[in-house]
Amino acid sequence: MTTTSQQAASPATTGGRLTIREIRKDYGEHTAIKRLDLEVRAGEFLSLLGPSGCGKTTLLRMIAGFEEPTSGAIELDGEDIAMLPPYKRPVNTVFQSYALFPHMSVAENVAYGLKRAKVAKKDIGPRVSEALRLVRMEGFAERRPDMLSGGQRQRAALARALVNRPRVLLLDEPMSALDRKLREEMQLELIRLHTDIGLTFVFVTHDQEEALAMSDRIVVMNDGVVQQIGEAEEIYQAPANAFVAGFIGKQNFVAATVGNTDGDTTVLHGETADLEVPVAAARDFAHGITVQAAIRPEVVAVAPGAPAGGTRNAVAGTVVGESFLGDVVQYLVRVGDREVLARVPAVAAPEVHEGDAVALSWAPEAVQVFGDE
Amino acid sequence: MRRFAAKILGPGALAFPTWAYAVFFFVVPVALVLFYSFGYKPDEFTTVATDRLSLERYAESMTGSFLATFAATLRISVLGTILCLLISVPFAYWLAVKVPANRRGVLLAIVMVPFWTNFLVRTLGWQIILSPDGFLSDGLQQLGLLSGPLNILYTRAAVQIGVVYNYLPLMILPLFVAMDSAGQALREASYDLGAGRLSTFFRITMPLAMPGVASGCLLVFIPLTGDYVTATVLGGANGSMIGQIIANQFNTAQNWALGAAMAVVLILVTLAVVAVAAAVLWLGRLITARLTRVQLEGI
Repeated sequence: MTTTSQQAASPATTGGRLTIREIRKDYGEHTAIKRLDLEVRAGEFLSLLGPSGCGKTTLLRMIAGFEEPTSGAIELDGEDIAMLPPYKRPVNTVFQSYALFPHMSVAENVAYGLKRAKVAKKDIGPRVSEALRLVRMEGFAERRPDMLSGGQRQRAALARALVNRPRVLLLDEPMSALDRKLREEMQLELIRLHTDIGLTFVFVTHDQEEALAMSDRIVVMNDGVVQQIGEAEEIYQAPANAFVAGFIGKQNFVAATVGNTDGDTTVLHGETADLEVPVAAARDFAHGITVQAAIRPEVVAVAPGAPAGGTRNAVAGTVVGESFLGDVVQYLVRVGDREVLARVPAVAAPEVHEGDAVALSWAPEAVQVFGDE
Repeated sequence: MRRFAAKILGPGALAFPTWAYAVFFFVVPVALVLFYSFGYKPDEFTTVATDRLSLERYAESMTGSFLATFAATLRISVLGTILCLLISVPFAYWLAVKVPANRRGVLLAIVMVPFWTNFLVRTLGWQIILSPDGFLSDGLQQLGLLSGPLNILYTRAAVQIGVVYNYLPLMILPLFVAMDSAGQALREASYDLGAGRLSTFFRITMPLAMPGVASGCLLVFIPLTGDYVTATVLGGANGSMIGQIIANQFNTAQNWALGAAMAVVLILVTLAVVAVAAAVLWLGRLITARLTRVQLEGI
């Protein structure tokens, strides 16, 4: 490597800090984002996660500048950029469709932003080469986009955005067009890139596994409102509400009314069975109120036969479905008139099959209690 | 039945109606015209004879008035194509980029409405507008923009206005389709990478619309060069085009051999102009590709 390309190395060493204040976006009668505050830390990998129509893409498009917020501010390192056109923002986007220019080679695509920024001609070549090396596309510089595979197109789109050394890189569901294996490969690649260049990443996805695997923090959105902001583990283990609990991972929800407290446990009266939960879990809810109790499939133990008398949080059921998923076995068990999902590590799976009577049990601490919305 | 048709006509059975039509109504007539152009007019009552073949009709066609009209025709058709392009580009861009998708259909229909009207009728309409005692003339005089009556009818200028109007939809349609298919996503990517609206238009939208520009120019230039209705109605004696001279040889002078020779010259010159334009475009593209090439390092 020559001295010039040494200097051109490590595009963007510092990521920008993005502050979104009281943003709102209306499309006529329809409100896409109700009122949203968000702080993206410098150098952070932040995911916007939610079902389609939750407002995550609208938020990303407002950060990029393709949409103007109805009200509110978007600050990049303290400067309000909400009303700047996209071509004046130090922010670049990797589009869902990649949007590579079909009439230009990969190298020309990557050089496009540098030329518009009037980067000196002698620096363009080295910087393009460097960006292509970063995404391992140096062998495809002269190819046209239609001669590339899906994964290669994504790398080219990534290089085209990164080469400009933006302060924030926006990624709009960039993996959705890739097959599973390639997607997992690209996830690792993106994490490596993020670690290498220390850029602020805002990543939009509807795939919770992707968000859990990649992000420093996750913003769970629904209906134009932020539901919870937190690290992956926090969001999974301590969801803020029933929506987050249900959206991230699988969940058994049981509607129940809050009953009496006895010592360290509170009883919840469900339709088919009573649940005992720690006092702390139901502390926020008064006696007699209807709540949603959430029990993750992996905390439900499955044993053959009937539940032993006197066991807390144990119900009798019949296996109606059994599927082997590799590392875990998933059971669908009919309890009364509802079905409960249980997941047991394959190495500890009980010898039960469809039609067998089983006992399901779970620890009181594993039950999460949410308000009924 | 399908197997039978395939046996008789080969694997291209589905294309049979098209090529049959093309052979009978295009290849055969053009071949006949070519053949007649080597013949001669033997007497007053016979249109063509081909017992002696020669290139004499070509020599005979190259008179001063023929060449002058030919040059004027090329001027009208080249200028007309350029004017159509300049008028259509902003409109097609506006329609493809700015107008919401649900209103484009109506606007395209409005563009096409004149096309559903008879060619002759709408050209005659221009005769009324451009006449010295027409409302345009009156209006311009009342506004003080014109001291005497408008003297534009039966001139080349009138023909020029008429052909641009008549062929405009043929330019707008392919341009709109090309600009629409480039898509909003690519323009957004261009803005995202720091290109302003003008830069995006010239670097992304127009280059991707080039196939539309090319087909629009062909659709306008070729029929325009051979057009004789517009010139007859609006040009009079001063504004004749080559199509009229050829038609006169076939219809009035009844000299099919000479008319055929002129028609062959017209076809060849039209093709030559298209070939030259294509070569210039190709060369331009080659040069810009050289200039925009990224000099990579260590790859």
